[in-house]
Amino acid sequence: MNTIVLTVVLPLLAAFVVPVLCRVSPLLGRLLGPLTLAYAILLTLQVWLGMEGKPFSIALGGFQPPLGINFYVDRLSLLFTFLTLVTSLLLWPWRNETEPRQYALTLLLAASACGLALSGDLFNIYVFYELISVASFGLAAGAAFAASLRYLILSGLGSVLVLCGIAIVYLQTGTLNLAQLSQLAPETLNTPLGMSAFALILLGVGVKGELFPVNSWVPEVYAAASSRVSGLLAGLVSKLAVLVIVRLLVLLFQQESALQLMLILGLLGAISGELAAWRAKDMNRMLAFSSIGQLGVIFIAFSIPGETGLFAGLALSLHHLLVKPALFLLAERWRGSLMGLRGAGLASPVAGGMFVLLALSLVGMPPLPGFWAKFLLFTGLAAQQSVIYQVALGVVLLSIVIEANYLFRVVMNLFQPAGDNSVAVITDHGWLNLGTTFLLSALLIAGMLFMGPLGAWLEGVAIQAADPVLYFDTVFPVSAIH
Amino acid sequence: MTPLDELLLFSGLTLVLLLLLGRFSYAGKIATVFYAGQLLFLAKMADRIADGAIMTFSLQAELFGQQMSWRYDALSWFFAVITLGAGLLSSWYASGEWGERFRRRGGNLWLLHVALAANVFSMLILLGSGDLLALFIGWELVSWASFLLMTVAGGRAIQAAMRYITYAMSGAMAILAGIVLLWSHAGGLQYGQIIDVMPQLSQAQVWLLVALFGAGFAVKMGLLPFHLWQAAAYAETPGPGAAFFGAISARMGLYAIILVLVQLIGLARLSELTIPFTFLDMRDFWAWIAVLTIILPTYTALRQTDARYLLAWHGIGQGGYMLLGVVLGDALGSAGGLLHVFNYATNQAVLFFAVFAVMFRTGTADLNKLGGLITRMPISFFAMLVGIIGLAGLPPMNGFVSKWFVYRSLMVEGEPLLFLGAIIGTLGTILSVYKLIHNTFLGQLRVEHVEVREAPWSMVVPMIILMLLIFATGVAPGLVLDWVALVQSAVGLPVVENTLGGIELASGSLDMLWVVGVLFAGFGIGALLFYSGGRTRQVHQLDNYAGGHFLTAETRYHYSDNFYAGLMHLIRPWYRGSFVWLESTLGSLLGIAASLMQRLYGALHPSIYLLVTVVVTLTWVLL
Repeated sequence: MNTIVLTVVLPLLAAFVVPVLCRVSPLLGRLLGPLTLAYAILLTLQVWLGMEGKPFSIALGGFQPPLGINFYVDRLSLLFTFLTLVTSLLLWPWRNETEPRQYALTLLLAASACGLALSGDLFNIYVFYELISVASFGLAAGAAFAASLRYLILSGLGSVLVLCGIAIVYLQTGTLNLAQLSQLAPETLNTPLGMSAFALILLGVGVKGELFPVNSWVPEVYAAASSRVSGLLAGLVSKLAVLVIVRLLVLLFQQESALQLMLILGLLGAISGELAAWRAKDMNRMLAFSSIGQLGVIFIAFSIPGETGLFAGLALSLHHLLVKPALFLLAERWRGSLMGLRGAGLASPVAGGMFVLLALSLVGMPPLPGFWAKFLLFTGLAAQQSVIYQVALGVVLLSIVIEANYLFRVVMNLFQPAGDNSVAVITDHGWLNLGTTFLLSALLIAGMLFMGPLGAWLEGVAIQAADPVLYFDTVFPVSAIH
Repeated sequence: MTPLDELLLFSGLTLVLLLLLGRFSYAGKIATVFYAGQLLFLAKMADRIADGAIMTFSLQAELFGQQMSWRYDALSWFFAVITLGAGLLSSWYASGEWGERFRRRGGNLWLLHVALAANVFSMLILLGSGDLLALFIGWELVSWASFLLMTVAGGRAIQAAMRYITYAMSGAMAILAGIVLLWSHAGGLQYGQIIDVMPQLSQAQVWLLVALFGAGFAVKMGLLPFHLWQAAAYAETPGPGAAFFGAISARMGLYAIILVLVQLIGLARLSELTIPFTFLDMRDFWAWIAVLTIILPTYTALRQTDARYLLAWHGIGQGGYMLLGVVLGDALGSAGGLLHVFNYATNQAVLFFAVFAVMFRTGTADLNKLGGLITRMPISFFAMLVGIIGLAGLPPMNGFVSKWFVYRSLMVEGEPLLFLGAIIGTLGTILSVYKLIHNTFLGQLRVEHVEVREAPWSMVVPMIILMLLIFATGVAPGLVLDWVALVQSAVGLPVVENTLGGIELASGSLDMLWVVGVLFAGFGIGALLFYSGGRTRQVHQLDNYAGGHFLTAETRYHYSDNFYAGLMHLIRPWYRGSFVWLESTLGSLLGIAASLMQRLYGALHPSIYLLVTVVVTLTWVLL
């Protein structure tokens, strides 16, 4: 069971070994990363099968929490560990032959993301979050200077806010262990000061979670960065930021106002992102803005109280994690003006066809998985009594209409015969990008075919994650206290 | 295997087959045979449907606690027959020379066949929906399948298709909102659950539901004010596609309206919903929407100079008669509305076939560039003649019967203003269909059309079939009325008592056998007088005169431009383009909002947002 720690340790170790190894043997250096990640995936699956659905806690270094730090392993954290590793492997910089830095940074990102998913206390979460930041700065630094600087500054300020929030929590409770906090929170954090701690953490983490309005780095970075990096940031890193907030909401801040704050920001993000995407002139910016919109919808979903919200939010997150990187990979060769893409789909029908499939799922055409995720969200929203949730329902529906409009404007452009004066259309997507996208699309179709069991399983994950008592009891078993 | 299993599987098989074989030249013939096969499977159900049985689909899905099922009752069956009939004849029309020419000119015939099959398949699925979730899935499938078919032609059709999908998505989202609201009240989406929960809902809640579902379904129907997308989207679709769309596609909206507003919510409940600040209730409101949908698009059709657009605009208007009849809700009116679905489908299909036959031979559907084709394409002329008589609602064609029912019901129910509106609409129809046939077939032949021949048999035979159908069901409307009566009883509407020739009513019967008999007797007497008089002389087509001047072969003249100049002079100020203005204003507002958002994200110093938000949030939290 303790082997799960290796999913953090091994990639971290590999990240530091890779630069050296590349000098000694380029071949080994190239193989080390993928092998490590593959092994870590195996470990995760092994733990998954071994835990039989029951969460457990690992005290690191043998020091028992709350004094020592611990990893909390439940289905949710394992799911995110698994997704982190798989996404990193899928978006591995295979074609990067000379530069070991990309390998190291991707491994660092994977290690810290796994750590973030597994950590059982706020301080560790902060540390891993900072590590993710460092790795993502490095990855995004390949992009235009101004864009990455923008990202750096906003992200840095965000980290300061998070730290302030954590400081307030510590001040109020005297601990940073999540399990302990979950017990203390109802008395100590149910105050304006506690709420302000949540607001600070929400906005700070929200920088990476593409939360409105601290997300204005998104379009610039995604427009400039490589598709792989955009896919990692939009698909993976944003979801990890969301994961942090979800854990805090479940364990620490079960106040209505916390949910409402997140709901309002999510709403603004959804509508502003989709509107901006509607006006976007190039493919990558369009995808970036639409990603802001979708993250807004995910925040809305998680702001529905109880396991309904968790279930809907997880479904939407998984769907977005699957679809967005695939779209970014397709966009690699379709950069630049949307008008210049006339006929690109006719020139490479496989890529065009997959774009249509992904777009349809994103818009939520039944019976593709995107529809079911949204259906969960809508039923969850409609079941709430408060007016603001009904408003959110309307806004999300409107945003889908806008989304359908701009995505299919692009699709129409792709499949129109190119005029004489349009630029030469690129047909070659590279087998790597195309293959990865094909894999993701196949997963999407598989998800549609096995929607029943998949949904039931995800609901199980959500129910387990929504239970703060279980969390406490797992970290501090009754037998240990007596 | 239940009969419905067979039908849906076979329909799916047709789609798969066309996906694989659509590239080959015989694909159209295969498709025609397979649509005929589907029709046979449908016919196999007929006896049991007539006994009131409900056909079930073996596959049922349960997802997230929602049971989804599919089944056919008389309502589904009635619409499915029209769908498959339209699909069969459309693909027959495309199977020969038309398809060959289409492909030679660079059209994607494979896509056309596949999209048509996808439309038929998805409509058959939609018609079978056994609960609201299945309904929504079917609805979306139909929307996207229609979108696919609309894009086949490329160019201007793409713009029309984009407009359609934007309207359709908005409508679908309204429906989805209605569905989840119902789910939150009823705890499920089975029809039974919804009928049970209806009495417990407050008037405001039902109001909202009717608005959401109504708006969503109205989009597909092309009811005012959501009608702008339809004419261009249908008219720009290549021939068989346009005929299929015109015949049945928009009626899916009517099917859903009957299902949700009539069957689940109930017309009686609609009457209880008053509209604030007026003396109308919701049912009156729907009736008025129907009448406005009859009038305005019909007079827009009058102004069209492209035959395809003229027909497509009429299609929107004719939907109004159907809705009007259904909303009236009595035996006669609802029978008229339902009957008109069938009658109109036959009329519109034959009209589109005729127009595309003319286009096939002359290369244009521009009403200012045609004329005198009666001598060159007599069968197409006759097809159009039969079609316009039906569309205008004159005996002896079937359109007369359904419209007579609706008028009669309006009079019996005491709705003089609605009656007047319907009559005004019919007047516009008669005027514009006369313009259609006059500008295309009558008058003098143009020089460039001297060599034109009748359309090939592969296109003419479907027209002949439809003509026979229109005439037969006009003389003996009882053939269709039997089915309409079954639909009425399945939906829960009062059932019409019909005979083969029409209906027997205390307030005045209609027997088309007599009407047609008298009509033809009149023709016979007229013919006798005409031929026995002896003072007749055969003249050449070009040998006539206009405005007191002789026009000979040297000076060709065909009055087509600015048709009805006098009438137009009178009514021109009424065409204000308000709906177009409204649509473009909405678009502009959205554009402005989107630009603002882009500006927001493009700010040079985004950290300021972070600072401001932190301050605002902390103030909100701490105060």
